[in-house]
Parts: sequence; structure tokens; C-alpha cells
Amino acid sequence: MRRLQRQIGLERTALGAIVILVLLPVAWLITTAYKPGTALFTSPPTLFFTPTLDNFRTVFGLFDVVGLLRSSAIISGGSVALSLVLGVPAGWALARAKARAALLVAYFFLAIRMVPAVAALIPFYLVMRDIGLLGTWAAVILINAVLNSAFVTWMMFSYFRALPAELPEAALTDGCTLLGAFWRVELPAVRSGIIASALFCLIFSWNDFIYASFLTRLDTKPISVALLAAYGTYDISWGTLGALAHFSTAPIVLLALLLNRFFVQGLTKGVH
Amino acid sequence: MTVKHPSPEPPLHQGLSFARRRSLVLLAMAAPAVVYVLAVGVAPLLQGAWYSLFDYNLIHPARRHFVGLANYRDLFADPAMRAALGHTLLFTVAAVALEFGGGLGLALLLWRDSRFNRICLALLLVPVTVTPVVVGLIFKALLGPDDGFIGYGLAHAGLSDPRGLLGDPRTALAALILVDAWEWTPLVALILLAGLKTLPGDVLEAARTDGATAFQRFRLVILPLLLPAVFLALILRMMDAFRVFDTIYVTTAGGPAGSTESLMLLAVKQGLQFFNIGAASAIGNLMLACIAVLAGTFALIIRRADVAASGR
Repeated sequence: MRRLQRQIGLERTALGAIVILVLLPVAWLITTAYKPGTALFTSPPTLFFTPTLDNFRTVFGLFDVVGLLRSSAIISGGSVALSLVLGVPAGWALARAKARAALLVAYFFLAIRMVPAVAALIPFYLVMRDIGLLGTWAAVILINAVLNSAFVTWMMFSYFRALPAELPEAALTDGCTLLGAFWRVELPAVRSGIIASALFCLIFSWNDFIYASFLTRLDTKPISVALLAAYGTYDISWGTLGALAHFSTAPIVLLALLLNRFFVQGLTKGVH
Repeated sequence: MTVKHPSPEPPLHQGLSFARRRSLVLLAMAAPAVVYVLAVGVAPLLQGAWYSLFDYNLIHPARRHFVGLANYRDLFADPAMRAALGHTLLFTVAAVALEFGGGLGLALLLWRDSRFNRICLALLLVPVTVTPVVVGLIFKALLGPDDGFIGYGLAHAGLSDPRGLLGDPRTALAALILVDAWEWTPLVALILLAGLKTLPGDVLEAARTDGATAFQRFRLVILPLLLPAVFLALILRMMDAFRVFDTIYVTTAGGPAGSTESLMLLAVKQGLQFFNIGAASAIGNLMLACIAVLAGTFALIIRRADVAASGR
């Protein structure tokens, strides 16, 4: 018993140390944003400083932070909504279909995940240019929703398939139509799957850089793109960049920590 | 006035129409997603395959003409391209190996179910959610040789070039591999942990009472049962590492001296900066082919392992 306790103690010490080590770069990012300008460019770098909000003032002076956040929210919100509307019914239909082909179609959705972004992006870019959607939020939402709806379909396929078969059958014998059983009985039963896939799509689209950087304009770009543009064009300090990064990173990290259970489900179950 | 005759026809007829109605409903529910992915996802891929057979530059669109496989021939003749392929493969293999080793260790540490371990897992997953562009910026700053915490220390201890790890062609790729490992090792740990949690407790208990040492239990009992999760983690990470873009683009953009140029970067530069659509499409297709071969190989291995496991 004592040996077990000692082993648990050792394991926890090791884990705790690793967690701290892993979080250090993130902690650096956070603290940098509160460093005064004088402490930023010193060589060697300084460890102690009096915190200030100067960097946040600079950020709000240089960037339309609210506008950038709105772009990010519209792009990720739009693509999450589109992906759920397309993917949830499709996942259900594939799970309920008895034909062998249904499984093949489900694997097709899984395979879409592997496509390197650039292979589809260039032709997609040209099509958007030809139909006048280049630079709009719609273009980014549309291409983000390809990977996302494929992911939702696969994920919901595995959730619906895992439901006990008696659940829809009981609803059907009670006089429900097929769609009624889907809407009133099965959909509520897979609620956690829907939250998990929505969260996963949200993170993916919010963090997306490559699609948005080539498909948006100055006034439609999301915060992920603005971050790099800020680094490249303005002569700004790491402090200002750290402050701007707060707005890009904090919403997603906090959401993932808050909905940790669903986040973990999305990462483990959805990829099977 | 009509008389109702009980006949064997109606139920059978009704049954058939029910089955047909059922498949129509299912088809209607699945069709929008299938059509969407085909139209917005697969059609551009096919278009890209077609473009790769042309000499097609957006700056001179009128000069577009069919060249067959010349774009692919040029790719393999180009030393920059061969170097990029090498960097991409090295990056993929080294990053995934590191992430697997670290992830397995972490998963074993996290295995015991306790509140402490669950909190640790949640915190460990933070790097997975941080915007990749921000990950790149964080490490670009930390590795800076003058004012970065890591970079300053290394440069002054004489452990790195005065230009810093990212400024030295000999170490830049290695530094990026470590950044990738920081970002994704927790994900591998999570997938392996999910696999560990499905292991049957009685088998592990039996191995313990039979007097197997911890190492024997791991090698002979845990590892074979963990194989599906291992393959899953490996293939997922390999596919993603193979097409990594954001962090490299932000930190080195392929430099210094082309030492971190990857296939993905090359394709993006060709296509969206030089507007050389033919060549860029050829690189995109080459990447697609590599990933398909990778995925196919893994699918075969998993299937064989599954058959072997169920045959026991």
C-alpha cells in the first residue's frame, strides 16, 4: 500500500512538472502583453517587471479589434452552422441505412479529412474569383465547411450507430414517423456528440489561417490573419502582438477548457 | 357502396412502399452533405488534377497550353523541390516519432483515473487549441537570440549559432520539429490514453497476479491491445505533419537558405504568390498521392492487425 502511494506521488510530481513546462510558452505570451515597453527589448530578457495595460491601448489604437473578432466569429459561426445542418442529418441517414454502400460513403467523408488544403484551395480560389466571391466571408465559410461537414458527418455517423437499436424502433412502433423518431428521440440522445462536433469545427475554423489569408480582403480578414499581417507590416513589439494574440487565443482555449468533456470526446471519438 | 375485402395484397404493398419511403427519406437526408462535399471539395481537386497538365500562369492566362506531364517532370528535376520533399519527410518522421514517444509516456502517467490527472490532461491540451499562427509567433519570440528567453540562453551558452536556432540553416528544421512536438504531443497522449482506458481490467489483473513485471506487462499485454489506438495516433499525426503550414510560414517562411522549405510552402508560393497554377497544382497532387499512399498502407496494416487480433 505504501509503495503504491509513493508511486502515485512520483507520478504526480512528474506530471505536474511536465504540465508546468508545457504551459510556460503560453504563460510567456500572456505575461508579455502586460510588460511595459522598456522591459521588452532588453537583452538579456528581463524576468521581473511592473505590469501595465499599455500594450492593449496600443492594440486598440492600431487595429479594429472588434471588427477582427467579428470577422472570426462570422466565419467560424457560419461554417459551424452550415456543417451541422449538412452533417448531422447525413450522419444519421448513413447510420440507419442498411445498404453496404452507406459504410463506403461514410469512409468517403473520413477520407476528405486527409486532403491537403492547398490542393483544393487553388482551384477554389479561381472559382471564387470568377463568380465574384473572392474576398468575402462566404468564400471562407464555404471552403471551411467542406472539411467540417465531412467531419461532422463521420462523427455523427459513429454516435448514431452507437445508439441502442431499441431506441428508434420503440419510437417507430409508438407511431412516430422515421423523421419524427430522428427529431424527437434520436437527436436528443446524441446531444453530446453534436456539442463535441460543433466545438471541434469552431476551433478549426477560428484557428484557420491558410484559407482565410488567401480568400479574404483587408476588411473581411479574421484575427488569425491579422496577427501575421501585424507582425509583418507594423513595427510593433512582442508585447503588442501578445496583447492581440489574447483576443485570438483566449476565447478558444477557455471554451475548450470549459467544455473539456466534449472537447476530449471530439478528439478521441471523432477520429475513429 | 364499396365493400372492404380482406386481401393479402395491401399489407405486402404497404410494406414495400414503407421500405421504399424509408430509403427515400434516408437518401434525402444524406444527399445535401454528399452533394456539397463533391461540389465544393472534390470538384476543385479534379480541377487541380486537370490544371497540373497545363502550363498555366495567371499573369499570362492567354499563354495557357497543354503540356502533359511536363510539370511533374520539372518538379522532380528541380533541386529546390527535391530538397522540400526531403524536409517534409524528415519533419514528418521526426515530429511523429517524438510525439509518439512523449505521448505514450504521458498517457501512461495519466492512466490512473483521478481528479488530479483529469485536470492535468485538460491543461496539457491547451497547446492543441492555441491558434497555430500564435504558436509560431510565440516560438519565434522565445527563440530570438537577443531578447528571447530560450534563444538568449542558448546563444550565450554557445549552444546555438549567434543567429539563433531558427536563423541557422543547420538547426532551423530541428527547432520547428520541436515546436510541432510541443503543439501535438498532448493530442497523441490523449488518443493513446483513450485506448488505454478501453483495455480489459481482468486481463491486466491476470498478468499482474501471474507475476509479470511492469515492463513485461507493458510489452506483452498492454502494447498489443493498444495497437489500434497507436495506429490511429500515428496516421492522424503523419497526415497532419506532412501538410504542416501555419507554424513554418510564420516562423521561417522556408528560410534560412531554404532549409525549412516544405512541399506545402512551395505549393502555396507557386500558386498564390507567383500564380503559377500548373506547377502548384502538380505539387498539390503529389502531396495528395503521398498522403493517400500513407493512409492506404496504414489501413492495410490496421486491417491485418485486426484480423490477427480477432483470430487469436
